Amino acid sequence: MRSEQEIRDSLRSWVLTKAADRDSAAITDQTALFEERYLRSVHLPELLLLLERLRGAPIDVEDLNPGDFRDIDSMVLRFGNAGATP
Amino acid sequence: MTAAPAPAVDPVRSAELAQLGLSWQPSGQAALRGPLLRLAEECDRAFVTLAGIWQADEERHPASLPAERLQRVDYLRSFPHQATFAARLAPEEPNLDAFLDGPVLDEGGTIAVTELAPVSQVLTPAACYHVFSDHLGESFDGPRYLTTRNTCFRHERYYVPLRRLSSFTMREVVCLGTSAEIVDFLQRARAALDAFFELVDLPLEWLTATDPFFRPRANPRYIMQRVEPVKHEATYGGDLAIASINRHHDHFGVNFELTRGGEPTHSGCVAFGIERWLFAITDRHGTDPAGWPRLEDAATKVRSSLGGGRT
Repeated sequence: MRSEQEIRDSLRSWVLTKAADRDSAAITDQTALFEERYLRSVHLPELLLLLERLRGAPIDVEDLNPGDFRDIDSMVLRFGNAGATP
Repeated sequence: MTAAPAPAVDPVRSAELAQLGLSWQPSGQAALRGPLLRLAEECDRAFVTLAGIWQADEERHPASLPAERLQRVDYLRSFPHQATFAARLAPEEPNLDAFLDGPVLDEGGTIAVTELAPVSQVLTPAACYHVFSDHLGESFDGPRYLTTRNTCFRHERYYVPLRRLSSFTMREVVCLGTSAEIVDFLQRARAALDAFFELVDLPLEWLTATDPFFRPRANPRYIMQRVEPVKHEATYGGDLAIASINRHHDHFGVNFELTRGGEPTHSGCVAFGIERWLFAITDRHGTDPAGWPRLEDAATKVRSSLGGGRT
């Protein structure tokens, strides 16, 4: 099971690869990634797979709620506890 | 998509609506005349009055648009189950002769087509697609507010009079601007609609919604709409959306090359389904036109209270 910090670091690294053309220093764990267009819908399938791998459990799309992917903090809070039911 | 039986319709209500001017085809088309037609036109005038809050410019668009344009936003892969195409026979005389030599129409009402010409036009699925398509490649130096009305076509599993139609009338108000301008536009639109609903005594509930994607779980845009809601519907009676406010971010700006200061334009829209308003008003206020609310007066009051001009 990955630690919360490992999940956070993996998410940060992944986000930075997708927002390579943007100022990486401006991206914090509270940055609204989709609202500020660092990420787009096209990135979501890959992000879902990444989160499933990091938490070691599948994610049902129908269980997703508004705000779940807002920022890195939200993702860690929602999906960081491996085995928790989303 | 397979057809499904339509929910039962109250025969008394159907008869009342017919008296008011509804001529209904089970294939999902409604013809209007008399009081219902006048009410539909008053609804539209009221919505245009509300569009006056932003001094929106009116545009009129054709009944179809090129599939190539719609596909810029992957419409055909996202909504193949709802798309309706404009099809024609291949124009070569031998093909037309073959058509005429056949039954032309079979007993089930299906046209006995011979070879079809290449299908490249899609009947309007939503009024605002035309706005983005028609302004393809434009640059803007300020917010732009537009309004348009069109007959829209969608294939559904079943049809219900005034609630779910295969062709219906949609009025939209569209804003092209910066992200902040779109947020302001949608906030003011929601406030305007709330005031309008109160004045015309229609109890509406705002619900978060998603677009009706085909196989939604596999569509990134559906997942996006679940986690970052962009569509809110004013819902009557728990399940009938009669208006919606929609935030597109820069989705149309990117794909239709609409720019503002060198960056993709953001956009948002307010949409009204006019036939559904007829259902809601006659359900709420009865079938006597004397009891119907004065929609234009209410819209004028709302426009006045919100300043009646651009901000």
